[in-house]
Amino acid sequence: MTGGPQPDPPDGVEATAAEYVLGLLPEAETQAFEALLARDAGLREEVASWQACFAALTADIPEVTPPEGLWPRVEARLHRAPRVPLWRQLAPYLLGAVAAAGIAWAAMVSGVMTPGGTGPELHARLVAGVQGLALQADYAPRSRRLTVRREAGELPSDRALELWLLSDSAGAPVSLGVLTEGAETVLDLPPALARQLSGAAIALSEEPPGGSPTGRPTGPVIALGRLAPE
Amino acid sequence: MATSPHPDIEELIARVAMADRAAFARLYERTSAKLFGVCLRVLQDRALAEEALQDTYLKVWNNAGKYQVNGYSPMTWLITLARNAAVDRRRRSGAGRVVQPLEIDDRFADPAPGPAQQAEARDEVQALALCMDELPPDRAEMVRRAYLEGATYAELSEATGVKLNTVRTWLRRSLMSLRECLSR
Repeated sequence: MTGGPQPDPPDGVEATAAEYVLGLLPEAETQAFEALLARDAGLREEVASWQACFAALTADIPEVTPPEGLWPRVEARLHRAPRVPLWRQLAPYLLGAVAAAGIAWAAMVSGVMTPGGTGPELHARLVAGVQGLALQADYAPRSRRLTVRREAGELPSDRALELWLLSDSAGAPVSLGVLTEGAETVLDLPPALARQLSGAAIALSEEPPGGSPTGRPTGPVIALGRLAPE
Repeated sequence: MATSPHPDIEELIARVAMADRAAFARLYERTSAKLFGVCLRVLQDRALAEEALQDTYLKVWNNAGKYQVNGYSPMTWLITLARNAAVDRRRRSGAGRVVQPLEIDDRFADPAPGPAQQAEARDEVQALALCMDELPPDRAEMVRRAYLEGATYAELSEATGVKLNTVRTWLRRSLMSLRECLSR
């Protein structure tokens, strides 16, 4: 669209971050910028700052209630287009294409296949970037016991950390339990929950002491992972 | 995290990330009027704005797991999604767009630091308004059009009658002035 080579734009990468947020960068520059963004946390903060800055331009735009019929149309489109599974949402993070500016979270799947028994052992790794917290979750199908070991980091002093099973069939997260203060938390799961574990995403959220009062996660999700045999 | 002005909205986004449909309905109830306003402002067309609002909430549903608490309001994340969805619609249906002329006033070519410095505006919105006022009016209008209307450099060039590369240089300099003012 622009035709011909561009002269070097003035004022450096901060202005380029703003152009990126505005959607003004030519395609080639967008790709180059995103490659830079994946490696540079400072640049991701710059982008977040521009997003906040520009969003403030909408402050005096009046609210307009959308027509009644719109919400059913949104719901209908949700049903038509099945939700991107959580573990696939995680893929960009795993590849390092995007990383978090605030709570950096990542998830890895590890472990070994164990033959026999009532199904394979399942493993998941949960990492909450900012807290420096790293957890290893291992599920033993014979005992229906999920063992969560804290390998690094401290628990927050005034908040509980609660583990959730994200099951597409349940439609809402199901609590697996609250982490205890020690380095190891053992959770004995009922058979109905145990059956849903293989391949399921699990999430760690911050909650008030004692765990969520509502039975649903109330705090920020600080780590996500997937229970898998390998 | 605890200082977020919208802990309730952050909580709803966290629950949406876990495929909680009730939380999603509640989030729509709480935020759709603001986001519809944004879509209407960008698109100036009710039917297109309704489409853009649907696009927005589908993105919210699919990307809630990527939302990061980063010290900014969760409304920033939602407004960014709505603005981008509306701009996408606008650019795709762009054939019949009328570009409003934009008067360039060279008297204001060099912005000088103004009263924003003394105003001690802590509030983000107020600070931005003051810093936008420090820009020459035509440059501030370019920034507004770029964000609120999704104007491209080609359109800004047409609106001002100035060469595209010059328009780009002007906009980048204006954005840096804005950034400098907001960092004071």
